[in-house]
Amino acid sequence: MSTIANDEAAVVIVGSGAGGGTMAFELTKAGIPCVLLEAGPHLKAEDYVNDEWESFGQMAWLDARTTSGSWRVSKDFPGLPAWLVKAVGGTTTHWAGATPRFLDYEFKARSTYGEIDGATLLDWPISLDDMAPYYDAAEKAIGSTHVHGRPPLPANNNYKVFANGAERVGYKRYATGPYGTNAEPYDGRPGSIQDGFNFQGDKNKSKWSTLVREIPRAVETGLCDLRPESHVVKITHDASGKVDAVLYVDKDGNLNRQAASVVCVAGNSIETARLLLLSDSNQFPNGLANSSDQVGRNYMRHLTGSMYAWFDKPVKMFRGETMAGIIKDEVQNDPSRGFVGGYYMETLALGPAFLAAFIEPGGWGRDFTRMMDAYSNMAGMWIVGEDMPQATNRITLSDTARDQWDLPVANVHFDDHPNDIAMRTYAYEKAEALYEAVGAVGTHRTPPYPSTHNLGTCRMSENAEDGVVNKWGQAHDVPNLFVSDGAVMTTGAAANPTLTIVALAIRQAEYLAGELKSGNL
Amino acid sequence: MNVSRRFVLLGTASAVAMGVATTPRPLYAALKVGEDGESKKLLTQMVRMVYPHDQFPDGCYERTADAIVAAANKSIGKAVMFKQGMASLQSASFGDLDEAAATKYLKGIEDTAFFQLVRGTAVVALYDDHEVWEILGYEGASFDQGGYINRGFNDLDWLPDPRITES
Repeated sequence: MSTIANDEAAVVIVGSGAGGGTMAFELTKAGIPCVLLEAGPHLKAEDYVNDEWESFGQMAWLDARTTSGSWRVSKDFPGLPAWLVKAVGGTTTHWAGATPRFLDYEFKARSTYGEIDGATLLDWPISLDDMAPYYDAAEKAIGSTHVHGRPPLPANNNYKVFANGAERVGYKRYATGPYGTNAEPYDGRPGSIQDGFNFQGDKNKSKWSTLVREIPRAVETGLCDLRPESHVVKITHDASGKVDAVLYVDKDGNLNRQAASVVCVAGNSIETARLLLLSDSNQFPNGLANSSDQVGRNYMRHLTGSMYAWFDKPVKMFRGETMAGIIKDEVQNDPSRGFVGGYYMETLALGPAFLAAFIEPGGWGRDFTRMMDAYSNMAGMWIVGEDMPQATNRITLSDTARDQWDLPVANVHFDDHPNDIAMRTYAYEKAEALYEAVGAVGTHRTPPYPSTHNLGTCRMSENAEDGVVNKWGQAHDVPNLFVSDGAVMTTGAAANPTLTIVALAIRQAEYLAGELKSGNL
Repeated sequence: MNVSRRFVLLGTASAVAMGVATTPRPLYAALKVGEDGESKKLLTQMVRMVYPHDQFPDGCYERTADAIVAAANKSIGKAVMFKQGMASLQSASFGDLDEAAATKYLKGIEDTAFFQLVRGTAVVALYDDHEVWEILGYEGASFDQGGYINRGFNDLDWLPDPRITES
């Protein structure tokens, strides 16, 4: 592995997940040296454990955070607004794997949906046409099933219930993917053994992550200096207002400075916004790249919810891929349903340990234990749809709570928009109908989990006053500062975001490499 | 004072210190709440009433009660609160209530810190218990057994095999 001196100004990437890991690979492939700083440890497949709580303790981002707002997560899990990974590979370590593309209309949310009270909708400065070649590249990198000649995953038990229900209620567009796990060997990694542990890291390496693909390949180029357990706490700038270094805490708790020619921030939406806010200065009193006052705003988490249903016959949903079924019929903008935007239905399975914690947070008594008793006969799905961006759904620095480095923690404020509530209610009804069509004897509406899809907070905009970054993810205020993760999303669309984060990073890396070679930065 | 005299004094002091440390009946002892047999029994019954599963043996609930006692002794504040909660259970003769009466009693205290500590710890500990997994039909770690690819990931046979692509 290459070693880049602390005083050698390099491209510095903060975070090694879907965005940061992809940036490191694409830039080093183009001959550009990078320092890749990751707050978490370098866990590998052999370190992962097939045990929900033990794994959670091993890899979840558990640094202090606070919450506010009327969302239920703030009541049930006040210190855990989001469920993310702190390890090399970031949240691609535990992502479920669904890889639908955003649709054309979803890049034009403001034009398509019109003015929605309380929402800060905006069209993206790019279109699906702009993204198409990068989606192709991202799907090939991930090895998405169902596309580019990759075979589909087989039907597991949970999918059999889901797909039969879909057929009986008249849905047409159901399948076992696209999905970022190999059905057959691909790209040097084996096919799935259907072990049922995705949220704990895939020990079999069948599932794509930047840990198994982009990061080792970046390191192999000899141009990537990967530094795990290196938590960036500040980005600094020179008198001209260009960023010139990052300060980070190493594994021994020492503060280090790494000089930077360019900084790419990919800490996932919450930490990315927090880092920019922590990087305030006399020149940038409201935080770095925040002249618009948009850093931290328009935080989105997708409409989500789950439906668990039980039957009088066995299902054993835990056997096989955690998420390997998707219904696309409800992804369309049809305001006659009572809301704008659309949602996917996707199979989802939890073990008893997590199911007990999440199926009805705070629940107890016979109503609760009846559901748990039905575990063997239970099927489950996740509902993931577009939520409305709102200026007040926002990441701010806490006035009171401090982290292990004595820095203000992120507060995550969220209130559901009426459109979110209308869509979730509608989706629950459809999910109940689906399971009842195949004989469910009971169903339960499970509220959203701590957020796994964290979007917005540094959104992409045509005009500098509407957002934080331009169509390349480059800060409007600071030309050599880039945001390389889901924080740039102007709106959230209905699709799981990882594919789009990877596609945006491939596109950004191509632009950044060109700018560096032309001497424009 | 010569060197050997000092050595003797130090030696004597050490012996005295050790003697104090091994005195069998200290004047003051750290109070650990909930660890006596009576409290354990009452707490186990409370957990069973919070998460009543007819097919779970006592062992599952007893191990969960142990986890709650450990959580209650993590701080002085929690220990004091927990001790008071247990005293209330005792004075309500909770151990003698049938399920309906016990549930009614618990409903009345469900917003208390005591109930939240018991429930919040129990929901993690009880459903992470491997005997509970077995009873519920969950098979736990699977990678070391080759996953389920040859062990029934698709053995559901009461519905037709659906298509796996969109058309």
